[in-house]
Amino acid sequence: MNLVQLRNRSTTFAMPFRHRQVDGKVLITNTEGNFLLMSQEDFARFAEGAVPKESELYRRLAERNFVRAELDTRKMAERLRARKTFLHAGPNLHIAVVTLRCNETCVYCHASRADMSATHTDMSKETAARVVDLVFESTNPSVTIEFQGGEPLVNFDVVKHIIEVAREKNKTAGKGLEFTMVSNLSLMDEEKLAYLVDNRVQICTSIDGPEHLHDKQRKLPGLSAHQKATYWIRRINDAYAKMGLDPTLYHVEALLTTTRETLPRWKEVVDTYADLGCRALFLRPVDPFGFADRTAPRVEYPRLEYLEFYRSAVDYILELNKRGVEILERFAAIFLTKILGGQDPNFLDIRSPCGAGIGQIAYNYDGKVFTCDEGRMLHEMGDSTFLIGNVSPSAETTARSNYREMMTHETVRALAIASNLDAQPDCVNCTYQPYCGVCPVHNHKTQGSIFGRMRESSLCMVHKGIQDYLFSKIGGGDLETLEILRRWTTVRDRTHFLQTCAT
Amino acid sequence: MTELRLHRELYQAAALEQALGLFAPHGTFVRKEEPSHWVVEITARTLERERRIAGELGNYALGLTVKGRKR
Amino acid sequence: MDVQGFPSDLLTVDLGASSVTLRVDPATYSLDALYGAAYIFIDRCFVLLDKPDASYRVTLAWKKREPTTDELRALVGEFANELLSCAWRAKISEDSRALIESVTAQALGGAMGPPTLEELEKFDFSDETFEDPLGIAMSWEEKHRKKAQPDDANPVDGAKVTEATATREKP
Repeated sequence: MNLVQLRNRSTTFAMPFRHRQVDGKVLITNTEGNFLLMSQEDFARFAEGAVPKESELYRRLAERNFVRAELDTRKMAERLRARKTFLHAGPNLHIAVVTLRCNETCVYCHASRADMSATHTDMSKETAARVVDLVFESTNPSVTIEFQGGEPLVNFDVVKHIIEVAREKNKTAGKGLEFTMVSNLSLMDEEKLAYLVDNRVQICTSIDGPEHLHDKQRKLPGLSAHQKATYWIRRINDAYAKMGLDPTLYHVEALLTTTRETLPRWKEVVDTYADLGCRALFLRPVDPFGFADRTAPRVEYPRLEYLEFYRSAVDYILELNKRGVEILERFAAIFLTKILGGQDPNFLDIRSPCGAGIGQIAYNYDGKVFTCDEGRMLHEMGDSTFLIGNVSPSAETTARSNYREMMTHETVRALAIASNLDAQPDCVNCTYQPYCGVCPVHNHKTQGSIFGRMRESSLCMVHKGIQDYLFSKIGGGDLETLEILRRWTTVRDRTHFLQTCAT
Repeated sequence: MTELRLHRELYQAAALEQALGLFAPHGTFVRKEEPSHWVVEITARTLERERRIAGELGNYALGLTVKGRKR
Repeated sequence: MDVQGFPSDLLTVDLGASSVTLRVDPATYSLDALYGAAYIFIDRCFVLLDKPDASYRVTLAWKKREPTTDELRALVGEFANELLSCAWRAKISEDSRALIESVTAQALGGAMGPPTLEELEKFDFSDETFEDPLGIAMSWEEKHRKKAQPDDANPVDGAKVTEATATREKP
């Protein structure tokens, strides 16, 4: 639509709104995240304040708080509050990188993995204990300790130590404590499995797609990384089923890193996940951390090609859903929870402000503490901009950091401001602002400042592209698709993984 | 000899002093003052090296000036 | 040498020195925006700021020798975009200051939680001066007397005080 054609723009009819062309229609959103998709003609009437009061359009605009004369401030405040509940509590995600050692070599590794001989990159039990102390100082009533690496199973003794110390501390702390582990599963055995299942650790792994693609990108010397991972996915899911847990809720989650090789194989990737019984796949694009600088010529791609891949894959996922296969795409679910549900799922990378420091903390194997996992990855690449503390027992007492010092660290403050979309050029006017988020660490790495320039940001392009796709589906008129998308916003609590005080 | 001219309104004196202190081991520096500029005459082993020192010195003084403005 | 897409009166290229020079209008881009943009490039370029007349002059000299014309064009284009971004961000921050501060305060306050007794014991409750960027502790008389008499001792610092005073005054 050519906005110049709107000759009599009203300044009194509408509440502040943002607009965007999506699939031939005009999408409008407002501060509290209400939206409406309308025809070009209806948008013209809206912008000119020429919507008849008795019309269906007026009713729809008014109930969404787009009409100034009908503004419901109480409803507006409630909606805003629902979107920002995460502001009132501190970090809930605590990433413990228990080792950098890894037995697989992944072409896109962003964790800067180390060889299996690099035992100096194992977290000590003393450092682990200090990490747990800090976790429990968080003001958040719920905390999740996520074990990462390298490959966390390499340092399983420290994983167990953290679990045991944390559960002991929680007897008095009384937090909603959970454990998760991100593992390639190739070092899993029955003994480790029994421990993890008995101690209710949620397990997440990586599946890059069909075997030939997965094994090409994730080298496990002498073995098939894919066969190992899929064996243990089925074994773990089986263990949950034997415990009487609902398999639709309790199963291994898997992640995908989309490389150039993945792009034409969207159907194979989705089929692989569906065959494994996965209920979700996360079509993550490759990121600029870790080995990315070196391997970019091999794995990187223009983000327009990624979005083409994304649309094809999710179209196919929707088709599978219509055939009764329950599987969702995680990016879509995150955005849809905000768009359709009016809630924020607190995905730390897509919220305003982002979770750096205030929503998550990453603890490196040596006790150094970072605002987020991306900040930690950057440190391993030689850039320690996002280092906010050190809890290592070997650090000088004066240098050892406490929780409040870290929360008031100038870097944490800077990132809270830099990731606030109300302060960000482009985002401030973007139709997707109520639902979106930026990553200051990504901006710093790719554009030289934590603020970045969104028009040149590959991450912004991905977020906009995904939301364009979702809104085209929402406004597409297919009720079955809309119902599927609504189902993707349903969050069912997995209470089995909650460590109660008594256990 | 390479001359670096830093405008007084755009570069803080203290920033330049600090930068000169840091770069002292890398060349010979003669500082002069003009009404609108601070001028640093840099002498080093080669012209290329002088260019590099001048550039890095200017960057350092700029960085310190920016940092100094936020206090 | 002309660079495609850039007005020749605003941009000059010195291939021999591997540098580009831009003229920047202070009426459009504040000094803060200029500093903000310039700072981003000091890892890749030698950045020299000057003020030969009413305009600023920015010289970006490639640290590597002999960049291609395309590389120089990309560099100066990126600088121009960053300059615009910084200028606009400053305006947005000024207009939305209350909202940004409110969200930041809640985010940090929520994460910090209340101080411990140990921290309160260490807190300095004396009457000594403390940093007060918003001027909350200033009396009305102090604030308005200070606004009428800017500090000219250091042009750079004086500019900062005036700007800070102006933003404090904004309702």
